[in-house]
Amino acid sequence: MKIKVMKFGGTSVAKAESRMISAMRVISAKEQGFKPVVVVSAIGRKGAPYATDTLINVLREIDPNVEPDARELDLLVACGEIMSAVIFAHTLKTLGHSAQAFRGGQAGIRTDGVYGNARIVGINPVSLIRSIEAGKIPVVCGFQGVYAPGDGSPGGELTTLGRGGSDTTGAAIGAALNADAVEIYTDVDGVKTADPDAVKEAPTLRQVTYDEVAEIAHLGAKVVHPRAAEIAMNYGIPLWVKNTFSDDVGTEIVTREHFPGRRVTGVTHTGKLVYLQFDLNIATEADRTVLEGRIYETMERYGIGLFMLNLSPSSTGFALPRAQYPTVKAILDGLVIPVSVEEARFYLIQIGTKPSMDVETQATLLKGMGDVRIVPTHLTEGCTMVSLVGHEYMQQPGVYLNVLTALVNGQVTVLQTSDSDYSLSVLVPEADTNRAVKLLHDRFGLAEVS
Amino acid sequence: MGAIGRGSAETEFEKKRGVSHVEIRHGFSQVHVSRIVGEVMAERLRIMDLVSKAGISIDFLKLTPSGMSFLVAEESADLLETVLLQCGDHFSVRRDRSIVLVYAVSIRDEEGLIAAIVRTAITNGIRVDHIGDMHDRMLMVVRNVDAERLAALYRETLLEIP
Repeated sequence: MKIKVMKFGGTSVAKAESRMISAMRVISAKEQGFKPVVVVSAIGRKGAPYATDTLINVLREIDPNVEPDARELDLLVACGEIMSAVIFAHTLKTLGHSAQAFRGGQAGIRTDGVYGNARIVGINPVSLIRSIEAGKIPVVCGFQGVYAPGDGSPGGELTTLGRGGSDTTGAAIGAALNADAVEIYTDVDGVKTADPDAVKEAPTLRQVTYDEVAEIAHLGAKVVHPRAAEIAMNYGIPLWVKNTFSDDVGTEIVTREHFPGRRVTGVTHTGKLVYLQFDLNIATEADRTVLEGRIYETMERYGIGLFMLNLSPSSTGFALPRAQYPTVKAILDGLVIPVSVEEARFYLIQIGTKPSMDVETQATLLKGMGDVRIVPTHLTEGCTMVSLVGHEYMQQPGVYLNVLTALVNGQVTVLQTSDSDYSLSVLVPEADTNRAVKLLHDRFGLAEVS
Repeated sequence: MGAIGRGSAETEFEKKRGVSHVEIRHGFSQVHVSRIVGEVMAERLRIMDLVSKAGISIDFLKLTPSGMSFLVAEESADLLETVLLQCGDHFSVRRDRSIVLVYAVSIRDEEGLIAAIVRTAITNGIRVDHIGDMHDRMLMVVRNVDAERLAALYRETLLEIP
């Protein structure tokens, strides 16, 4: 039995017309002799009536100050995929092909009990197999599973899989059914060397390794989620990224052995960042440990995503998503950190050049209580992290030089740098994003990559 | 059902969240170039050009207001010092650096984990010179003498099964 798992993203199931195109791809696979198993995302992307973000906003709009319960949130957002699966199955039925919709739990997907970010612990695909053997096309809700708490409660608890959840569902079902291929359908031709908004001529890569795709996703371009790629790799299931709306062959995600040599894979970017640099010159070494520890402990507690971390004897800094900055400002600006009760020494964090009302209030309250030292914190708003991703490439002499030369010659200001085994990143002003991407794309000859 | 194969049985599909293992890479030197006068970026590029022409690869580049710092393989340190002497004497090379690698799959999806890894080092009095991150790991540059202790701390505090 040749099984092909076909996962369709939000834009592929957003409208009747796009669902019809997606359904025809399923039927085509069936006519080629495959037993298709469909996985669907919720209908549409951000802003669409039944998209995950829209559903979450329904709760937030009731009272933005009351955080929804994670369990209830999972029940709510899972509705998007349930509707999508039922509608897709019915679309197939109208085209003369018997289909059957499954919730994640009905498809046998068991997870751990972490609401909102569950991990798949096992799949018992018996229902899917029965459906296939009965000549039907199973249509499975992506992004969800069920957790059995083991307390005797019937039915288990619905969980969602977090970021990349539907891709992960597709790959996991492919592994459970020992599929011939898993195809992730989206609205781009596959993994490109750069965002086409920045580089129109950016080619589609025909093959990328798991590490490359994982690093590309880590650095901002989420064509396929690394969790899905990892499962496919572990089980040896061929994984493809394809465009629902074109006949391009797409990108195959392959094992590292396919690329024994080195190459530059592409240029990616993560926008909408702000950069905070805490000036610790006024602190003693012992005090710096307390200050930095407190800053990072706070970031940990509030789950802030950190990019481009930078530690030095005189300062510490990091970039964070602009969306999380109001939270960080509310916590850190005006935060008083007492470091020595005996010596009555306090540090007061001030974000930006002008003290806010919070900082002034705290300074007034601390007046006369001891030694109060302001921690000046430089804020750079409107930043983007632009990254060169490569396979065994970054360790070559001159790569940094090439990157910085291209950007400096192109009049792009480099605010900070960061690198790892697979990437080299620069922080640049957001206004220069597309120019920076294009400059690096040209410098490393990526138009010729395939 | 048997025809479907290995997937019929319930199996582990995903790596567990959080830190999965910790390792150390030894043999690095840290270089600080400071007190550049004039056009700082142009001078940084000039120095990097000389380093590149000497066939030395640099990692963990960090820009500072009047210079930069970076990491090189320890075996390149002597050659590097010779190269940097051409550019003046405002540099230092510290030869006792290691990288502690903390692995966690899809690390950015684990809220607060990156901050927790940094916080663990700082609050235990370990000075971290540089930090890098990848999809499945964080890389912390520390002194050799601190590397084993930091790795042990991570194993004790962040690993489910040390």
